[in-house]
Amino acid sequence: MTSIDRRLQEALDGERDPATLPAELREAYARLVGAAQLLSHTPPASVAERVMAEVRRLPAPASAALAFEDGVARRVARWFAQPRAVTLRLRPAWTLAIAAALAAVVFLPLAESVAPGAEEGVAQFVGHFPGARSVEVVGSFNDWRRGALPLSDEHHDGIWHGAVVLPAGQHEYMFVVDGERWVADPLAGRYVDDGFGRENALLIVRPAVGP
Amino acid sequence: MRPALGLALVLAASHASAVSAQSVRARLEDRVPAAALPAIDSLVTQAGSEGLPTEPLLQKALEGGVKGIAADRLVNGVRRGLTQLRDARAILVRAAPARAVTPGDVAAVSAALARGLSPALVERLLGAAPPPPPEPAGPVLHAAADLVARGFPPDSAADLLLTAQREGLRGVRLLDVAAAASHELQRGCAPGEALVRVREMLPNVPEVPPPRPRAVTRRPGPRS
Repeated sequence: MTSIDRRLQEALDGERDPATLPAELREAYARLVGAAQLLSHTPPASVAERVMAEVRRLPAPASAALAFEDGVARRVARWFAQPRAVTLRLRPAWTLAIAAALAAVVFLPLAESVAPGAEEGVAQFVGHFPGARSVEVVGSFNDWRRGALPLSDEHHDGIWHGAVVLPAGQHEYMFVVDGERWVADPLAGRYVDDGFGRENALLIVRPAVGP
Repeated sequence: MRPALGLALVLAASHASAVSAQSVRARLEDRVPAAALPAIDSLVTQAGSEGLPTEPLLQKALEGGVKGIAADRLVNGVRRGLTQLRDARAILVRAAPARAVTPGDVAAVSAALARGLSPALVERLLGAAPPPPPEPAGPVLHAAADLVARGFPPDSAADLLLTAQREGLRGVRLLDVAAAASHELQRGCAPGEALVRVREMLPNVPEVPPPRPRAVTRRPGPRS
């Protein structure tokens, strides 16, 4: 064991003024005093204790602090607003039944309202009219009445489309663009002289039920 | 026939005619120029009295009205329509004298003529009708018009369709024959080669798939 210098020991014990120590002993004195100060702040023994100590030093959470002040409505609202883990236990048979019921609710009314009959079929209209504000289909199937069958451009890409159930057979029609421009469907493939100097597109609707 | 019964029938017929005339006027009023209404009414009545379908003439008048056609041109268009209906019925009677002439067939023949088929070709197609029950005239005529419109020689197109009928294809399946021939053209075949290829497929030409849109609505504006 290394013996400590007597003068240094006296300074550490407070029996001597550290300023009277030689320079090398003053440096050793300073290191020893610093070490002693570090040891006086011993951390908690474990990580868990240190974390808990930090937690205890934090201010109490608002919800806990105000628990007694909050009204019932506020607490209920907070209960609904906070995310919670939910465990749902379903039997596969019930799951399939619920899915089928949801599908029926979503799709059946649509199917019932648009299903073509034996002498009907589905006609689909598509036109490319970039920049158009409106496009509608007017034809023999709606007594050439305006405003009965507007097309839509859902993606705002100039592709206008719509579909309708019509009686099987032949129908003449035209597109009306922006309410004033009459255009024979460029994609129709069949055209017939309209008797007034232009051509109508000709549509042949097939019955949905095969011949 | 007893005089009272005959009188009742005449009164009933005149009443039905009056009701029909009223419904024609009701459909056309406010939809065609007022100046054209009497003449159109007269043409439609004339068609009805000849046993011709009146709906195509009403549709032509409504079409002219919504397109803003002047009254005189509109009347001329309806008159031309009446002439086409007469021609169509004459062709039907010549092609198949034993066949009952239906309004649908008259309209189909009229449309085929308007699409550019010659009366001779229409007569040939209708004269070689498949065995009973009689088929509507529309599909075979439209199939022929489709083929002619795509550049196939009319007689060759008719030959192909008559062969398809002999192979048992009926109704809209004949449109599939025309679609198959057009498909062969798009693949680069010459018209003659395309017809040969389709003839070899018969009767198993591919069926044109029906449209499957996401959303479908009902027919707008039912005819009144």
